[in-house]
Amino acid sequence: MKKSIIHFFVLVLLITVSTDAWAQKLITKTGNIKFQASTPSNEEVAAENKSVSAVLEPSTGDFAALVLIKGFRFKVALMEEHFNENYMESEKFSKATLKGKMEDFDLSKVTSTAKNFTLKGDLTLHGVTKPITVTVKVSKAANGVMAMGSFEVKPEDYGIEIPNLVRKKIADKIKVNYNFLLVK
Amino acid sequence: MKKFLVPICLFLATMAYSQDDLLKDLDSTQVEDSYSTATFKALQLVTLQTTKMAAKKEFYFVVSHRFGTVKDGFDSFFGLDNATTKLGGIYGVTDWLSVSLSRHTLNKMYETGVKYRMARQDASFPVDIVGYSVADINTFLEEDQYPGLEFKHRMTYVQQLLVSRKVSEKLSLELVPSFIHRNLYNPAIENDNQFSFGGGGRYKITKRLSVNLEYMHNFDTPDFYKNPLSVGLDVETGGHVFQLIFTNSQSMSESGYLTNATGDWGKGDFFFGFNLYRVF
Repeated sequence: MKKSIIHFFVLVLLITVSTDAWAQKLITKTGNIKFQASTPSNEEVAAENKSVSAVLEPSTGDFAALVLIKGFRFKVALMEEHFNENYMESEKFSKATLKGKMEDFDLSKVTSTAKNFTLKGDLTLHGVTKPITVTVKVSKAANGVMAMGSFEVKPEDYGIEIPNLVRKKIADKIKVNYNFLLVK
Repeated sequence: MKKFLVPICLFLATMAYSQDDLLKDLDSTQVEDSYSTATFKALQLVTLQTTKMAAKKEFYFVVSHRFGTVKDGFDSFFGLDNATTKLGGIYGVTDWLSVSLSRHTLNKMYETGVKYRMARQDASFPVDIVGYSVADINTFLEEDQYPGLEFKHRMTYVQQLLVSRKVSEKLSLELVPSFIHRNLYNPAIENDNQFSFGGGGRYKITKRLSVNLEYMHNFDTPDFYKNPLSVGLDVETGGHVFQLIFTNSQSMSESGYLTNATGDWGKGDFFFGFNLYRVF
């Protein structure tokens, strides 16, 4: 009888610890995404979003990020309007998401020097979902981790039309840089 | 062993919970702004202003032409021989306030304007409301013709309220009540204060092409002037907006457009023209 009570408490403890671990998701609401779609000797086509949400589940390496398209800021307001109205159609497709898993993620192996992890997941953009593999540089930061890196996106893969008239002014591959300080 | 069953179930339940979609957690963290954007492509519908504002520190350079009347055919090459021009600029002081200055060939007119946004359409408010105040300076008047002419006689003022609604992605509508005050007028044929009401809309044919229509009814107009009715086509090409237009009111100044329409659509007497915007 006594033994089983001990077992019972051990299990309760296990549950508490395990739920606690899951409660320790690392989160940001002020992540940063920049993209660069300029071509040489043409007007700069680039924008930045400073309020990206992202979450990392350290025990499994599960990762998700969400960004509102309307939150991207361009230098030229008209470009921003056209980006929303004609290219991303942000009234129809208001957000872009990335959901995936960092392979062999182990929080204890993360140090102050960046370590590369491979993230495999799905990128949803302009209403189209495609698998994507991204290398993420993860380093230790106060109260969490810093995850950063870059990847390339082809607009045509996501059904984003670019008219012939501006074809030369927009890069075929758009470089996306991200920077997330994920904390408890 | 049975005693373990409950805790084990609980344990599994928590495991299952953790598998829940991480994205769902994120959804609630982002608040979307619901302002309607791109209600109109350009600052002008055809000749009337739209509720679109120049953004902060944005500078628009505008060149517009209204050619002569089309009805003379090849004699004046459908009016192209008699071009009138408007050259001007619009500057966004802030996102809700912009100032403009332009020079018009017709009546050697200078036009200054202030445009200010008072309300925006969003999830909780149905319309955009913008005020537009204009002062027109007619420098064509000469003392030889008008003895005792003073500077104040050159002035005409227009006050407009622009109320627009983006009804759907393709359709936007606008109402424009206008009040016009002239310092110089002929009491025999017209009032110094005139009121005009109308509006228009745009319909997008493709992402970068829209058809625009506008009509203004002037309640005080003498009968030899018509009410302006205009149709236009917006063509957006990156940093430019190009508007091809047909109208029965040749003037591009706000007061002239509203009160001095001379063309008559019914008689094939109308004007071809365009507005060209370049953004810096």
